[in-house]
Amino acid sequence: MKQLIHIIEDDQSVKKLLEIAFKEYDFNSISSNTKSNAMIMFLSHNPDLLIVDLGLPDGDGKDFIKQIREISKIPIIVLTARHDEKEIVAALDVGADDYITKPFSVNELLARIRANLRRKIEPENINSSIVCDELELNIVSRDITFKNEKLKLTPIEYELLKYFMLNANKTLTHNQILQEVWGTGYQSQMQYLRTYVNTLRKKIEKNSTRPKYIKTESGIGYRFSCNQN
Amino acid sequence: MRNILEKITKYKYIYKTLGILFLITLISHLFKEYLDIINIALIHIIPVVIIAIYGNVKATIFITLLSVVFLNFLYIPPLYSFSVHNELYIWSFLIFGIVGWIITIQAKNLNTQTKQNELRESLLHIISHDLRTPLSTIHGSINLILSNEKLDMESKNNLLEDINYSSLRMKRLITNLLDSTRLSSGSIDLKLEWCDFEDIVGVALNEFSQKQNDEKLDIKIDELSLFWGDNTLLTQLIINLLDNAFKYSKPNTKIYLEIHNLNNFTKIKVFNESEYIDKQKLKNIFDKFYRFEDTNDISGSGIGLAICKSIVKLHNGEIKAIAQNDGISIEIKLPIIKTVEVK
Repeated sequence: MKQLIHIIEDDQSVKKLLEIAFKEYDFNSISSNTKSNAMIMFLSHNPDLLIVDLGLPDGDGKDFIKQIREISKIPIIVLTARHDEKEIVAALDVGADDYITKPFSVNELLARIRANLRRKIEPENINSSIVCDELELNIVSRDITFKNEKLKLTPIEYELLKYFMLNANKTLTHNQILQEVWGTGYQSQMQYLRTYVNTLRKKIEKNSTRPKYIKTESGIGYRFSCNQN
Repeated sequence: MRNILEKITKYKYIYKTLGILFLITLISHLFKEYLDIINIALIHIIPVVIIAIYGNVKATIFITLLSVVFLNFLYIPPLYSFSVHNELYIWSFLIFGIVGWIITIQAKNLNTQTKQNELRESLLHIISHDLRTPLSTIHGSINLILSNEKLDMESKNNLLEDINYSSLRMKRLITNLLDSTRLSSGSIDLKLEWCDFEDIVGVALNEFSQKQNDEKLDIKIDELSLFWGDNTLLTQLIINLLDNAFKYSKPNTKIYLEIHNLNNFTKIKVFNESEYIDKQKLKNIFDKFYRFEDTNDISGSGIGLAICKSIVKLHNGEIKAIAQNDGISIEIKLPIIKTVEVK
């Protein structure tokens, strides 16, 4: 069955572009112009994924995300013209899974939609092992192998890479990562995150300035890119 | 020598005003009997007014002082001495100063307004020219695709590539325009944090096509040492430096980007081979909207390097362009104000 994407966007041309793209790539879609209509449509149609524009005529898209998060774990991708990093970080922190800024490439958006839908289908932690291309995480034995060889990682490096792999293809804010890997009270300790990402990249990336796995979302955080075939 | 000449022409008005002052003193002296002290004082204010129009505070102070000294020495009793009998004259001198000051301030305001108008004009020029160029590519290509159903796959793809590239150019230009107004209005707050240049370069490279990157770029970055700076601005800095290098480098030559951690500063160097460049012109390369006259065909607004300069300045660093045998290298020194050890 085709999956249903709910577009919450007031700009007609963007909406049209999305509808055409979704139709072309075998998704069904419904759309709403306003926050209030979006809630009604969400409850009546039960979509598989939400695309939310942050600037809606009847209020901030963040509030809508917050409301949705109280009742559902549905993947949410934020679409925004605002290049304001603070806004994006705030949206991710209230529960959005990913974001994309306008002007965006449809391919990029589709890739993110697929990745997020996939995560919905395979809820985390069912398998004791997670594979991402040449990387394999075994949660039970606490091992990560790269090209079938065991990686030598410090405990924090392991925790960080594990967190990335468990949340693959999702934009993680600096705050979220510091909180999850280092613990409460470390949110402002960016130097740890920067340093560990740098050393991790040296261990798993062929070219650290062109990373294949740990991608930087400037001013926002990181996203671990993973092609689970 | 050239510098001195430039300075002389630049401050010509000071010599002119000095001449007027001497002339006035001469006239006052010759007609001393017919002119009352009040009138003599009034004509001595003329040079003050003239100099003040140029909006140069130091020059105004200098001429005002000179005017007052002449007046005092030659006409105010006791004559030919710098002492003053009547305290009222002290007030006259003060009024001289105030008149000069008010006019200087007004003239300065006017000057900045003219400059802002010039800036606004060049901004409009950019918007009409530099946005129009990619837009016409987009418009033209789309029309061609829409009107020509039999277009073969390859030409269609070529046109689409052009559209894609042009839209990226427009996007970058808009970001730059926004940044430049933000940076020049001084409303920007540095968001200082620990930055990793390897990370920053990685983000910057996303702005360019993979082909550009692989074929042309040669990157060397020192082992990790976190830098305390504004991550977003430093990313913009690298993007603009690379964009500039891509635009002006000769075909089939390499572009070198090096980032080194030295004792108390981080050094960023970008080098690209290019046609011979006049060293005199290099000095202006960081001015807003400057572009080599003979490179009009290359799209760009000359705004990119001006932004680089603002960003470097905000980090209290230095930026300079150096002409080398076969190209230009742009060197940046950013002072290290904080270091960190992560266990």
